[in-house]
Amino acid sequence: MLKKTKIIILLVLLMLGGCEQPPPTDSGLPAKIYRHAMDGAPGSLDPAQATSLYAKFIVVNLYDTLYRYKYLARPYQVQPNLAVAMPEVSEDGLQLTIRIKRGVYFIDDPVFEGGIGREIKAKDFVYSIKRHFDPATRAQGAWLWQNRIEGLDLWKTEGSDYDKEVIGLRALDDYTVQITLSRPFPQFVHTLTQGYAAIVSREAVRKYGQMLSNHPVGSGPFRLVSRDSVRAVLAKNHGFRQEPFDLTDEGFDPAKHEKLGIQQLQGKSPPFIDQLEFEFITEDAARWNAFSAGELHFIKVPVSQFDNVLSQRSPLTLSPQYDGMYHFEASPEAGFIYTNFNMADPRIGYHPDQEQNHRNHALRCAMVKAFDWEKRNEIFFYDIGQVFPGIIPPSVPEYDADSDTSYVQRDLKGARELLLANGYDETTLPTLEYGFPNSVTERQIFEQFRNFMTDAGYPASKIRPLIFATYGDYQRAYSQGKVALINSSWTMDYPDVENNMQLYFGPNAAPGSNSASYNNPDYDRLYKTSAVLNESPRRTQIYREMNQLLMNDCVSITGISRTLLFLWDKETIMKPDRSFLGGYFMRFVDLVDSASSTAP
Amino acid sequence: MMGGAWRRLKSDRYGMTGLFIVIVFSMVAVCVWSGLLGQGWSDVSGNRWESVSTTHWFGTNLLGQDILQRTLFGTATAFEVGLLVTFCSTLLGTVMGALAGWYSHGWLDEVILWLKGVLDSIPFYLFAAAVAFALQGIPWAMHLAMIITFWTTTARIIRGEVMRIKQREFIEAARAIGLPSIKIIFRHVLPNTFHVLLVQASIVFVAAINTEVILSFLGLGIQDGVSWGLMLAESSQEVLAGHFGNFVAAGTSLFVLLMGFNLLADALQDALDSRRATA
Repeated sequence: MLKKTKIIILLVLLMLGGCEQPPPTDSGLPAKIYRHAMDGAPGSLDPAQATSLYAKFIVVNLYDTLYRYKYLARPYQVQPNLAVAMPEVSEDGLQLTIRIKRGVYFIDDPVFEGGIGREIKAKDFVYSIKRHFDPATRAQGAWLWQNRIEGLDLWKTEGSDYDKEVIGLRALDDYTVQITLSRPFPQFVHTLTQGYAAIVSREAVRKYGQMLSNHPVGSGPFRLVSRDSVRAVLAKNHGFRQEPFDLTDEGFDPAKHEKLGIQQLQGKSPPFIDQLEFEFITEDAARWNAFSAGELHFIKVPVSQFDNVLSQRSPLTLSPQYDGMYHFEASPEAGFIYTNFNMADPRIGYHPDQEQNHRNHALRCAMVKAFDWEKRNEIFFYDIGQVFPGIIPPSVPEYDADSDTSYVQRDLKGARELLLANGYDETTLPTLEYGFPNSVTERQIFEQFRNFMTDAGYPASKIRPLIFATYGDYQRAYSQGKVALINSSWTMDYPDVENNMQLYFGPNAAPGSNSASYNNPDYDRLYKTSAVLNESPRRTQIYREMNQLLMNDCVSITGISRTLLFLWDKETIMKPDRSFLGGYFMRFVDLVDSASSTAP
Repeated sequence: MMGGAWRRLKSDRYGMTGLFIVIVFSMVAVCVWSGLLGQGWSDVSGNRWESVSTTHWFGTNLLGQDILQRTLFGTATAFEVGLLVTFCSTLLGTVMGALAGWYSHGWLDEVILWLKGVLDSIPFYLFAAAVAFALQGIPWAMHLAMIITFWTTTARIIRGEVMRIKQREFIEAARAIGLPSIKIIFRHVLPNTFHVLLVQASIVFVAAINTEVILSFLGLGIQDGVSWGLMLAESSQEVLAGHFGNFVAAGTSLFVLLMGFNLLADALQDALDSRRATA
């Protein structure tokens, strides 16, 4: 009987051991669990395949990158992460030497000898970047370094042999990386802050292969406990290097940040929470309900709740009922929304016949004039988005607040006249496909677009929806030039407007990032000139000229930058970010002791 | 027989209510197809989320489109899907069922039964959604998905009827005078299954409308136009913000039409059932 009881107790203990319990805290206090709502689910968590915003958010918490952005400084500033300091750059700007920190270890995992994580070496960084150029990896981030690093593209064409050295990407010793660029690339250090540049171990890739997504072996502040389609649970990496938080280093500004309680973090080593839970809730209503019920610490407020949450729009003010409960921030999006014309499509873009080419240009410009940005902003962005002409958004220093805004002013009369003057009527206007991935909002955006055009005399039956099951399918279709009107958004990868300008650079034409397949030699020449320049008045001038070229050619109906509203409870000490800092802020999240919680 | 059935149907209050509802909705659909109603479903005729007024009986949606116009157009969408799917799936099910029943226990019967078994073994909505998803981009994807899944029940019923009828004397007589099988099936057997087909078609009609709404709600339905499913999908984002126009209009229309069809189908079943008639 006693034996039987012991077996039952043992079984119960084993079962309890198998449950996902938050890790015990050193102080004996309840575990600090921070729950973060995401409006989408990540795809692969392999850094080489982490394309979505959601995947990048998680990846930078599981892995280390050489650089990151300062937590609080705005405009964003690059800060060493695994690197010891900023790169040492040669006089010609082509050679960068980066030293990495000693004594940083991968998390313990069976892939390592004895299951104990080994030290990160310079060769791991070299290997991680090379992976992007290995077709077997099916990597998504190679575009960041394509034709930029000496010998790397050649390494790929010669068979991606990892034992073969790349002249421009070398580990000089265990702690020194040397990178040689094929031409100056002032934004290079920004690319090393990306999730794509996260450092993986060769042993893990060898063992887990495509399953690396489910077995991340990194050296970031957290390690993965579990992950499914609705949630990812990360636990504190107890072996994470001790680096006390320095308010000055991170750009602390008492006027902005004191009310958030961030000064309390001074001198403590992140991460401050024991468990980090990402809840993937795509449905706005469900996400809002979970937040309202106190199941989540943070939410990006759904647009449908703006009326409820805000008491006024200018200046943005939180309703009294929420003011006492939550911290609030309005964050301008680092990017913009636009509708490109497919310039490779002779119905609307370039045409070999000069006369038709001219008519197509007039048609595009008429559609630009017919578009009502004011209405778009009012209906879909609660009138708090920022409309601007072209592709230089207000969030970057190159933005010209005094520029002519006629490109984004509706001019229905002008649109009709332009169509008439160029011989367009209901019978001669071409039938165009407007592409979008399947969702209620995208369909509404399409219907609104079609209404704008019908106001200018474009028959509704001649603007047809082309609906795709997923965004991936849609992206594939417009990359192959199968969509005439491409509605999309662009989120900048790094805080340099060069990242936007490359979207219309001729050699990047579809299937590259130039989805409009815009091809203007003047624009390309200016891009090449500016691409090697650091931020300067001259470069700004060139960018503005390029912006004007795009508008003169009526390549795109653009644009608007959304304003995102964040709410988080007052017991959470943090400054959230969905922009360039992205998931890096998670390591600095703390909860006041009373907010430390157990799972609901 | 039909005269008696009509008398029995007329005496069924619920059945007549169902018939009235179906006729009203059918007339709305015909008016939409004729261009008399619902033509402004896509126009922006008001401001965002206007409440109920004499101008907008059900208010407006996010874009400022009139919800009544969209509801009326949605009726036509429902009928278009219902009619097309019912006709095609009933036709397919009838042919397959008749062939299986006539050649029962032969290889053709085995093949049809196997195919039917395979299709029936997959959960219905899952299968319809999968087919619609796989064929997305094709304008008739949703219709095809439903036809592929709906014919099996009709085929099963018709197979049983045909197996029963083919034992009857008049069929024996037709065989004896040397009529070919196909002629016997289509001239003498299938006309005797009409009452079953009528009831089954009304059930399929209801299922098709229901499925269209579900698939459209999931974004797998109609490509261009509006349907009650799309309106319900829109409402899922609006209800939380306190705007119920889409939800009430589409939900009520769907409920009333489906209830009407169900009442009519039940009444038809009773009216056409000869055993009940003789009882």
